[in-house]
Amino acid sequence: MIIIKNTQPQRHASVTMTTLRAFTCDDLFKFNNINLDPLTETYGIPFYLQYLAHWPEYFIVAEAPGGELMGYIMGKAEGLVPKEEWHGHVTALSVAPEFRRLGLAAKLMEMLEEISERKDAFFVDLFVRVSNQVAVNMYKQLGYSVYRTVIEYYSASNGEPDEDAYDMRKALSRDTEKKSIIPLPHPVRPEDIE
Amino acid sequence: MAARGHVHDPNDRRLRPIYDYLDNGNNKMAIQQADKLLKKHKDLHCAKVLKAIGLQRMGKQDEAFTLSQEVATLEPTDENSLQALTILYREMHRPELVIKLYEAAVRKVPTSEEYHSHLFMAYARVGEYKKMQQAGMALYKIVPKNPYYFWSVMSLVMQAISAQDEKLSQTMFLPLAERMVEKMVKEEKIDAEAEVQLYFMILERLGKYEEALDLLRGQLGEKLTSELQSRENKCMVLYRRLECWPECNALSFKLLLKNPDDWQFYLSYFESLFHLIDQGWTPPEGEHCVEGEVHSSVEQAISFVEERITAEDGKDSRPLRGPYLARLELIKRLRERGCPEEQQLGEPLELMSQFFVKFGSKPCCITDLKIFLDLLNPDQYVQFINRLMEAVPLGAPENNGVALPGDTRALQRHLCVSQITRLLGLHHMLDAAGKLSVIRELKSHYHNGLQFGDENMLWQCLGILEEGLSHSPSNAQFKLLLLLLFCQLGAFEPVVDLYSSLDAKHVQHDTIGYLLTRYAESLGQFAAASQSCNFSLRFFHSNQKDTSEYIIQAYKYGAFEKIPEFIAFRNRLNQSLHFAQVRTERMLLDLFLEADISSPLEDSVKSMSLCPEEDDISWDNMRDNRDLTVLTSWDPKYRQLTAEHRQRSLEEEALWLRVRSLTLRLVGALASISHPPSTHNSEKTTENGVVPKASTLQHLLSQLESTLSQASQFTEKHTQPYPFFGPPSTRLAQALASGSCQCQLSAFQLTTLLLELEIAGLDMPPCVSEKRQHWYPNALLLFLEILSKCKGDLLEVKDGQCKAQPSLLERLVFFVETTSVVLWVSGYCGGVLRPLKSSLQKKKKKKKETTVALPEVFTGFQEYTSSLQTLLSQSLDHIKGQEVSLTALKLADLSLEGQNSEEGTFTKAAMDKVQSSYLRSLQEVGELLRKRMDTMKALKI
Repeated sequence: MIIIKNTQPQRHASVTMTTLRAFTCDDLFKFNNINLDPLTETYGIPFYLQYLAHWPEYFIVAEAPGGELMGYIMGKAEGLVPKEEWHGHVTALSVAPEFRRLGLAAKLMEMLEEISERKDAFFVDLFVRVSNQVAVNMYKQLGYSVYRTVIEYYSASNGEPDEDAYDMRKALSRDTEKKSIIPLPHPVRPEDIE
Repeated sequence: MAARGHVHDPNDRRLRPIYDYLDNGNNKMAIQQADKLLKKHKDLHCAKVLKAIGLQRMGKQDEAFTLSQEVATLEPTDENSLQALTILYREMHRPELVIKLYEAAVRKVPTSEEYHSHLFMAYARVGEYKKMQQAGMALYKIVPKNPYYFWSVMSLVMQAISAQDEKLSQTMFLPLAERMVEKMVKEEKIDAEAEVQLYFMILERLGKYEEALDLLRGQLGEKLTSELQSRENKCMVLYRRLECWPECNALSFKLLLKNPDDWQFYLSYFESLFHLIDQGWTPPEGEHCVEGEVHSSVEQAISFVEERITAEDGKDSRPLRGPYLARLELIKRLRERGCPEEQQLGEPLELMSQFFVKFGSKPCCITDLKIFLDLLNPDQYVQFINRLMEAVPLGAPENNGVALPGDTRALQRHLCVSQITRLLGLHHMLDAAGKLSVIRELKSHYHNGLQFGDENMLWQCLGILEEGLSHSPSNAQFKLLLLLLFCQLGAFEPVVDLYSSLDAKHVQHDTIGYLLTRYAESLGQFAAASQSCNFSLRFFHSNQKDTSEYIIQAYKYGAFEKIPEFIAFRNRLNQSLHFAQVRTERMLLDLFLEADISSPLEDSVKSMSLCPEEDDISWDNMRDNRDLTVLTSWDPKYRQLTAEHRQRSLEEEALWLRVRSLTLRLVGALASISHPPSTHNSEKTTENGVVPKASTLQHLLSQLESTLSQASQFTEKHTQPYPFFGPPSTRLAQALASGSCQCQLSAFQLTTLLLELEIAGLDMPPCVSEKRQHWYPNALLLFLEILSKCKGDLLEVKDGQCKAQPSLLERLVFFVETTSVVLWVSGYCGGVLRPLKSSLQKKKKKKKETTVALPEVFTGFQEYTSSLQTLLSQSLDHIKGQEVSLTALKLADLSLEGQNSEEGTFTKAAMDKVQSSYLRSLQEVGELLRKRMDTMKALKI
């Protein structure tokens, strides 16, 4: 078994000229410039409210000086501590087209990692479409590696299976031996992931 | 939904199959299984409830309810029944019954933590804050856990927030909440972050900012760790509120050293700095303040900003924009104060050009510079653009004389310069030829990078956008622009696909749903209109139930700050302008399409439980949730959306909504006074019901009159259109111009004249009957006027150019809507006149009078309806004629000036779409008119 070391030098993630603050319900009325992007899903209200009620600290929005929303990250903490599966999870991360290439996504990821560190999590993970090379590369640059492939994780709006996902992970300081990111040899099915 | 609880309970085993059937949607089998079980075990109450759930899900609400109440009156305390009843009540949308259920349960089992907690949540679902406060304390007494205590405290805060009387909040609820928390603080029982949050919320709402600051900076404040920088951010808000400018300045300074790109702290740094200067603040000996070093002079600010820039310039990694923009912001603020020191920072034109050199290839460069363009003098504009162009690497000019960028970064830079040129109004200063040459130039730029007046320009735009979309099928801006242009051209058909490809869902129905609902019906695409309303309505209806669940979750997780936020959110959706609009329009549409066609008007009104006496729109608290900036605009300031535009648009929408809602309620009132054709003995209803209902009608009618006069004042006052990318105007101006408002109003007025006749009988004063006799020809004239305004060609080719007149289509729709109203009213009149006529004839027969002429009250009506009939057939002929000429139109032969063949293909495809959409609209309108014609047979008296 090969242990993928996080050999990427930790580039100091550059920060954008932005106001970073907690996402609130009112932002749901303003996020069209971000969410009309085809790779960004607009969820039902219950989904957002669940995150806001349970993990408000993990739901952060970046606002431009003019008041436009630039991007947001939405995440949660879950998993069992004794099984060393307690971790931060990135549920959604999206940046509006006009605010890309500023390092905003990196900044938001850095914040999510810091919150997860404070919660004493072992790692942070996320799912990404295998075809979304731009995103996969960005996460690799931020120190994430592919932990496993999840077969047909994404489905089309008609319910048909659409695409596989990479489950990407980055170990946090609590996982000193980086055990959580040792890649699995075989792909898994969506029903096999917790 | 699975049975939980004790595995050993034999009832669980017995109930299991019913749960499974219900889970699988097999309601019939679930009911059968429940019946079987109940035969053997009569008092297995839960089986009854499960059966009721099955019945409810099969649409047998009444049976389900009766059955559930058999169990409910027994006040069950077994977990299975309670859980099942809760599920049933939730599906019935009867949350208040859950309360009753658990109130009984805790009465019987007063020590149950679980039932008490369910009771608390049941109160939370309906917002019974006082009961929640008590239930929380009751829980805490049974099991002294902190969360229960703080549930109770939070419920006090909610009583404060929801109290009508602010004084009561400030003097009773909040102080009580504060004391409750203080008690826990004294006893050193505070242990969770949520509890400190709640304490902070209370102090903040009480305006005890000093105390709130002490809390944040003290030991308890250390618990605020989940959210990043939470303490600092909260302190900052308080410093500003308390005008503690030294602390505000020092903290901003500190945070900026840590993160030189956080814009909000530059703003608070500058704000506090100028306050300190104005106050003549001087630093004391030793430490400046608890937050550390304070800046209190322009010199310090200048060197602070310059230092940040030097630090940025000397860095290897990606430079931050913050420091450079902070310099421009400081210049702006110094200039506003008339400080000559601004010059020490440099010349804005120079600095902005440098900024462009550094960040021009970032898409956000334009939004950054936009804020500071005011720093330039108008006579510097051209020079500025030229300076910027020097920093755009372009290749050698092509044979059309246009030089093009070689890569994406260069393209982005060029795009930014074009956007600034437009923002500065330089495009708008050009004459038509100049504008066309800019278009040509931008088009070459577009083709190169695979990017981008009079009517010809509009068709060209459509072509370019269609082409753009074919290259970038997921570009939302292309879609939105196309959608807008098609709507302006009156072609709704292509809009359906464009909108659905945006994949707008859920809350987006509220924010951008107006793009659909504004146009679908008004352009005569009724099926699409119903569907658009349904999308939005489904979203709004689920909101109520959904948000309540998460208010409960927020209690469970101690996210106290979120509770008022969720409630405000729920209200914002319930009071949404768009919600009220789709509610009203959906009902109107159903009536236009069906009432008196597939079922009588009275039945249609009854089935939508439309109550004319009730106004269900909260006019005073209306929320405009539309996203009016979803389209990106690079137009100069004077063409941009302003707060005044927003205000005006909301006012206009509300006025139009009022007209529509009153129309709807008037139709409802009309239905309530109408006689079902089968009732022979109409005199009785006259005595009991008609008079109060008539007063409703009268009342609504006078409201409609005054609203219409307000509306015409409004349209006279506001003749300037909104910016192109701003809100679409409502149908109001067109409705007034087409004459349909006046015509519908007059139709409703006839109703009141007939009511008088109905009450007084045939022996009424002559002045009233005279009024009525005058009414008919006037009404016909009004009706004819609408039709005459519909005449003309929707689409024609003239001098090789394609011309569209979409307003004709909108008027045609007003014509068909008005036809419905006029015929409903006529239906009512027929119903009043028919019995009068037959009783008159009976009397005549008795008196053996033969062939005496009918009184004019009858003949007048008969003449009126036959003229209506003629008018309607004319309108159908007109529609038929339009369909024929549209079909015959050959758009393929058009030669399109200034477009190459590939562009031409896209433009022609767009024209085809418009043509086909017009045809479809005409078909839908024609079909409805024909159906309305058919209902005229029933008007015979």
